[in-house]
This record gives sequence, structure tokens and C-alpha cells, in this order.
Amino acid sequence: MASDTSHAAHPTPLLYVKIALLLAVLTGIEVALFYLEETVGALAVPLLIILAFLKFVIVIGYYMHLRYEKPLLSRFFSAGFVLAILVYAVVLGTFGVLAIRAAT
Amino acid sequence: MTDVAQTAPADTHGEHESTGIEIRKLGMWVFLSSEFLFFGALITNYLLFASRPGLARPYPAEIYDIPFTSVSSFVLLMSSLTMVLAHHAIERGDQAGTRTWLLATAMLGSLFIGGQVFEFTDFVLEYGMKLTTSPAASAFFVLTGFHGLHVLVGVLMLFSLYGMSRRMGGLSPKHHLNVELVGLYWHFVDIIWIVIFTVVYLISKAPV
Amino acid sequence: MTTTAARPTATTIFRRPKATTGFWSWITTVDHKRIGIMYGYTAFVFFIIGGIEALLIRIQLAQPNMEFITAAEYNALFTTHAVTMIFLFVMPVSAAFVNYLLPLMIGARDVAFPRMNALSYWIFLFGGIFIYSAILFSDVTAPAGIQGVPGNLDPSDQTFLGGIPSGGWFLYQPNAGPVFSPGRAIDFAVIGIQILGVASLIASVNFIVTIFNMRAKGMRLLRMPVMVWMTLVVQFLLLFSLPIIAIALFMVMFDRQFGTLFFDATAGGDPILWQHLFWLFGHPEVYVLILPAMGIVSEILPVFSKKPLFGYPAVVFAGAGIGFLGFGVWAHHMFASGITQVAQAAFGLATMTIAIPTGIKIFNWIGTMWGGKIRFTTPMLFAIGFVAMFVIGGLSGVTHAVVPSDWQQTDTYWIVAHFHYVLFGGAVFGIFAGLYYWFPKLTGRVMNEKLGKVHFWVMFIGFNLTFAPMHWLGLQGMVRRTWQYPEGLNLGPWNLASTIGAFVIALSVVIFMVNWARSRRHGEPSGLDPWDARTIEWTIPNPTPEYNFARPPVVRSLDDFWHRKYTTDEEGRAVRRPEADELIARLDEEGRNPTEPIHLPSPSYFPIIAAAGLPLIGYGIIFHTSTVGKLLIAFGAIVTIAALLGWGMEPLEEEHGELSLETAEAH
Repeated sequence: MASDTSHAAHPTPLLYVKIALLLAVLTGIEVALFYLEETVGALAVPLLIILAFLKFVIVIGYYMHLRYEKPLLSRFFSAGFVLAILVYAVVLGTFGVLAIRAAT
Repeated sequence: MTDVAQTAPADTHGEHESTGIEIRKLGMWVFLSSEFLFFGALITNYLLFASRPGLARPYPAEIYDIPFTSVSSFVLLMSSLTMVLAHHAIERGDQAGTRTWLLATAMLGSLFIGGQVFEFTDFVLEYGMKLTTSPAASAFFVLTGFHGLHVLVGVLMLFSLYGMSRRMGGLSPKHHLNVELVGLYWHFVDIIWIVIFTVVYLISKAPV
Repeated sequence: MTTTAARPTATTIFRRPKATTGFWSWITTVDHKRIGIMYGYTAFVFFIIGGIEALLIRIQLAQPNMEFITAAEYNALFTTHAVTMIFLFVMPVSAAFVNYLLPLMIGARDVAFPRMNALSYWIFLFGGIFIYSAILFSDVTAPAGIQGVPGNLDPSDQTFLGGIPSGGWFLYQPNAGPVFSPGRAIDFAVIGIQILGVASLIASVNFIVTIFNMRAKGMRLLRMPVMVWMTLVVQFLLLFSLPIIAIALFMVMFDRQFGTLFFDATAGGDPILWQHLFWLFGHPEVYVLILPAMGIVSEILPVFSKKPLFGYPAVVFAGAGIGFLGFGVWAHHMFASGITQVAQAAFGLATMTIAIPTGIKIFNWIGTMWGGKIRFTTPMLFAIGFVAMFVIGGLSGVTHAVVPSDWQQTDTYWIVAHFHYVLFGGAVFGIFAGLYYWFPKLTGRVMNEKLGKVHFWVMFIGFNLTFAPMHWLGLQGMVRRTWQYPEGLNLGPWNLASTIGAFVIALSVVIFMVNWARSRRHGEPSGLDPWDARTIEWTIPNPTPEYNFARPPVVRSLDDFWHRKYTTDEEGRAVRRPEADELIARLDEEGRNPTEPIHLPSPSYFPIIAAAGLPLIGYGIIFHTSTVGKLLIAFGAIVTIAALLGWGMEPLEEEHGELSLETAEAH
């Protein structure tokens, strides 16, 4: 079975723990940004989104092993993600919600 | 050349896994990709109302307890670690380790749900923000409630895996995939929470 | 029985059922062919119900100011007619085709998840019954706060049909919300469609995995029949659009049952959000209805034109393109709802682009027939009818992309004419083409050609008589969803024609049913290859053996079967190989005699039990204020969870495969 060969490349528990630490640190930075939003200013929201996306990608890539799987799975998965972002951005856009965010 | 069926060269894929991906795993990934649209609609719904002026107070963003939610987010993140360790253990045939990590994951998941129950109760009793207070409150409760329901389903699956493992004296190699599939689902619920935590709790603001 | 005891881990509760004939074999079956047949018959029953509803509507509209039914009944009828035809007929009948044919077309023994396939069917059946069970719980309540408003329906209007959902299949808010539609009727539609969505979502995962993973040796993606490709596109559309309607329906359910305020404008809620979410699902859904029919027609036209499909890759990519664009045009249903001008322009433009891939397909179908040796058999007639009627419906559809024109057409009969030309002239004609074409695979017989042709012409005439006049009625300004129209507008004659047409269609359906029933018993035996077909589902005997392929097929090209029968001469004309007849005889013989034991997935009780929990939860939610309701929710949840646990504990298929071998030897 092809899936067995892909398992061979999986990371070690040590790496898993390191990743968990990294995720915890990123979460810490996020919470800190929340409290420092006044100081950081307009950058806070983009930074928060980037941090969340980073955590998102790390969990998918390592914990869900998507890095080690066939590209077909990544394609399916990103199709759903990208489609969701696109259509819902348009929906919120027609209500003017995203525009208000950008303005403030 | 008429009698091709029996003598054709093996020019392509195997019989049952044309893509080389186990069918249940492929099915799980396909299903998870559709869940983006599911939670996307809920988050959209929340974002539409969260900052809309003129709704009945309190707005959810006025009463979030960020330190508390940060801790419960941390709990869910760590449950992803224990989940992946359970998967790692079963791949090495470590039955005891698998059981321990499965149970740990289920416990952390239960802890998260407990936190959510506490949060909801707090909002309703302390701040008077109920499901029926305003569309923003409705959207908040329905979004986080559906996420909590997903966690609950995950916890049920973890406990049943744990139970199967105990009852049968360990999970057979045929069940290894089950651990992986439950893991995929679990991590997915976790990444959805990563998005909710940032977008809903940290970014969204009540109108002034 | 002895073999069961020999297995170490399985206990008696988890023993898998063994019946191969009779009632229990159908209840527990996981065979994709049997599930397909059940889907087909169930859908046809709903087709008859929906058709009767349409006839009642047409009688009411036959003349100005008719009083055949009340306004409230009229609302209930047009709503259930739509819900039935969309969710309970066209979607499941497409599922029937996919179930039966998909594994045969890609050379598989079954779908990827046979038990989940059975689960989908049972959820669909229970969901359909759930919606119609509304009639048993009729509780007519007047809308709160708007008594005495002119045009407001009086509760005394409501009669025996009063319990049926009446908010339109689109369930627009706030009309279908708690204030303007009190009572329980709409709840049955909301929760029922939710249940049907679960069935379709499970099926979509199942079919996508089947197409990607279960293909026979050599069946590369670009060797798959167009029908399979269209199925794949449809399943992705469902996969990504059903979660959206699920959320939207949950929101309505919460508004109606638990007092949330999502669509209550007086509390700051937003009815337009409903329209966005609904049409984000609703527009892909339109392609879900039509693409399977396009797939069917793309199979039939080449066979009866004796030519390969013109531009196969173009048809495939056009289909995928339609699916992709289908997610970007939803707001053209909302041009009259007050969205911004930028959005109107953007969505109008996006809608026009849909015409490009659709046009590619139509030209490819015409190109397929062009210069071919056309045989005007019944399936071919329906396929040609599909192409012609779909062109009309497609063209009237493009007019909706022009915003000012759309404002004029909104809520008139022009719209009704348009979507019946695509959904009846399109989807239903395609479905009948498929039924005639693949009937031999079910029964080993062909349907009566004479009756078939009568059926086609009666239906074709009846269809055009019914729906063509609606174009002019719409342009004259006749409004949709209104139970009466006044005298003196000169709308009567065309409406009468339309009503007569509806009864002609009904007659044609009766002809079809007679033909089906007679041909099942007395039709001419079809042999292996009645149509001189091109694809591999015709390389196995008719009716299809339980194991499908006696030996796993190997595919060497697109239209594999054709190339085994035909070669081309110097001028590129198809020439039948001399050994073709011998090949067919040999395939028939081999297909009936597997050389080695074949492992088939074992039947299971759990799909139907797991499915039964969902409507129980649904009833529980509707009656959640009472103790019985709360108990029902708990009971339904326990039934489903317990069944799924049992499902997980059932002996694995591999073990059971060995078991069936042992029993086979014991006999």
C-alpha cells in the first residue's frame, strides 16, 4: 500500500512537541497583540491574521501530515478553503462589512 | 489485437486505489474540505452582525474574557499534540501509549467543552447576553455552539476508540487507520478554532 | 451459522444479515444496483405526487378568477411541487443513475463505501416522508400582528392541505419566518430539506472517492465517460454547496424554534443574508439538476450517431467550467432585492460567461450528430429533444443576466417558462432518454420502441403546449405565485392552452408507465449489446450480474468497447471488425461465469437504523417545547449514535468475504 511508504517519513515525537511549543508561542504573541492593539495600530489586524494562518498551516502540514501526503489531498483541501474565503468575502463585501473594517 | 482484455500491459493504476490513497482517508479529506464552507457560513454570519450598530447590548465582543478563552484555546491546541502522539504510538504498535494519548486527548477535549459551557453560562447569567438578545449574540452562540458540537462528536469518537482498544486488548492493525481518521477530524476542529479564536475573539469589535 | 461461531471476535448482534432475496434483502442491501433501483422507484413515486400537484395548480389557473382551490392551498401546492420535483425527484433520480451506472462505467464492483451508500438512500427516503408528514400535523395559525391586512390569508382559507409547507421552495425570510408563517408547516420543509441534504452530502463524498479511487486498470481520468465526469462535477457542487444551505436552514430553524434573530429586521437581523446563503447553494443546485442529464445525453448521442463524441475534452472541461462558474453567479437571483450596482454589474457579467461553456457543449452535441448515421430510437429522440429544449431554456436564461431586463422579468411567468425549459425540457427529457437507454441493464430486455416513440411525441407536444405560452404570459406581465388573475387582461386563452398541455404531459407519463411495466415482463430480450454501444458498462451481460464484472476489466482507450468492435478504414469511416459478433458472444459467456470467487460487500442492518434516527430528531425539534419532543430528540440521537457504533463494530468486509467463501463451499 502506497500509504505505508508515506508513513515512513513522519516526524518524531520530539518534533511534534517542538511544534506544539511553537504553536503555544504564536498564540501567546496573538494574545499580546490583542492587548497592545493601541500601540501596534493598524498593523495589529493583518498581523493577527498572518499569525492565525501560520498556526493553521503548521497544524495541517505537520499534525495532519498533509506535507507528507500526495498532492491530490492538498488540492481537495485547499479547494474548499479557497472557495470558502472567496464566496464569503464577496457576501460580506456586498454588505459593506469588509469595507468598514478597512476604513477604521 | 482483438483479445485485449487479458493481455493488456499494466499501463496504469492498481485496482482499488487508483490514486494510491486509502479510500477512507480520501473520504475524510474530501469531507473536511466541505466543512470549510460550513464554518465559513457561520463565521460570515457572525462578522455580519458583530459590528452592526444599533443592536441590543451587550455585543459579544464587549464581554469576551480573553485570558479565559486563551487558556481554553491552549487546551485545544495541546489536545492536537496528544492526538498526534496517539497516532504515532499506534503506528509503532505501542498499545498502552495509544490508549494513554487517546484518553488524554478526550480529556483535554472535554475540558475545552467544559470551558465553553462555563463561558456560555457566564455570558447568560453575568452579562445577560442570551441566544435571543440580538442577532450578534445569536450568531456568536450558534457559531461557537456548532464548533463545540464538533468537539463533542470528536470526544465521542475518541472514547469509543479507547473503549474498543480496551475491550479487544488493543487496536488491530486494521484499526490503525481509524486512529488516523479521528486524528484528522480532531486536528481539523482545532484549526477551525484557531480561526475562530483570532477572527471572532481577537479581531472583531463591537461598534462604539 | 457454524462459520459465524468460528470467528473469534464477532458477537451475534454484529452478525451481518444474509438474505439475498425478499424484503429483508432490500432493507439490508448495500449493492449499488439495488440502491440505485430503490432511488429510482422512490423518486418516480414523488414525481407522480409532484405531477398531481402541478395538475391541481394548472386547473386553478385554467381560467380567470377560478375558485378550484383556495389561495392558501395554491401557496402550499406550488411550494411542495417545487420541493418535490427538485429535492425528491430530479436529485434522487440522478442519484439513481449514478448509483447504478457509476461503478459499471469505471469498471468497479461497487462504490467506495457501500454501507454509506445505503445510508444515503434511507436518509433520503425518510427525509421525503418527513416533509410530506407535515400534512398529519396541520395546525393553522394566522400570522401574528398582521390580521386584516389586505391580501393577508385568512386561516379559514386553510383546508386539508393547510399543513403543507407554503413559503416557496426558496423559503424567503421573513415570509417563511416565525412572524409571517406561524404554525409548523414550514418547519417540516426546513428540517426535511436539512435531512435530505445530509443524504446528498454523504453520497457526494462517496461518489467522489469512488471516481478517484475505484477505477479499473487503465481507466484514466480522461478516458472516463462524460457521464462520469458530469457526476464528478455535480458531486463537488453538492459537497461545497450543501454545507451552506445547512447553515442557512439551521439559522431559520433557530429563528423559528429557539427565538434567534438572524432574519428579524426589527431587531437588526438581515433577511438579505438568507437570500445570499440560499442562492449560494441554490445556484450550484441548478447545475446539480441539469449536469447529470447533460452526461446522459453525451453518452446517448454518440451511440446513435455512430460517431465519437465531438470534442470530448472540450465537453469535459466545459462541464467543469460550468461547475466552477456556478459558484460565482448566485446574486443574479437577487437583482431585484436591492444589492449594490457594482454587484449587479459583476454578477450580470459573470452570469453571461456561463453561456460560453454551455454553448460549447451544445455545439459539441450538434457536432456529434453532424454527418453521423443517426438512428432515431426512443433514447435518441429524447436526447435530441433535450438539446433543442435546452437551447430555448438556455437562451431565455441569458436574458436574466441583463439587469434591466431581469427587473422586468422578475416574478413573472417568463421565469417559470425559463426554468421549466431547462429543468423539464432539459433534465427530465435527459432522464427519460437515460431510462430508455439503460433499461436493458436492469432487465435484460429493451423497452417497446413504438410506445416509446408515442411517449416521446406526446410528451414533447404536451411540454411545449404547457410551457411555451408561459413565455408570452410572462412578457404580458402575468405574475408568478398568484392564485388568480383577473378577467380582461386576455391571459385566459394561453393559460387554458397551458393547462391542456399539462394534462397531455400527464398522459405521456401514463404511456411511459405502461411501457415500463409491460417491457419488464414482455420486452424483447436485449442481449449484451442492444444499441451497439461504446462504453464498458455494455461489456457485461444484461441484466447486470450481482458482481458486475466477472473479471476486472482493463481499459485501453476512451470508448473502449467501441474500439474493440470497430476499426477505421483509410477514409476514417468506422468499419466493424469481422470478429465483433464473436467478441460479444464471448463477453456474454464470460460475464456469466466468474472464474474465481468474488468478494462482495456484505449487507448490513445499520444504515437504515442510523437513518431512522434523523427524522425522529426532526420531529423532536418541531415539538421541542413538549416532553415528548425532548424525549424524541434524545431517542433519535441515541438510535443514530448506537447504529453508528454498531456500524463501526461490524465485522470488517475482508473477514466477511472469507466467510461468504466458506458458506459457499458448505452449500
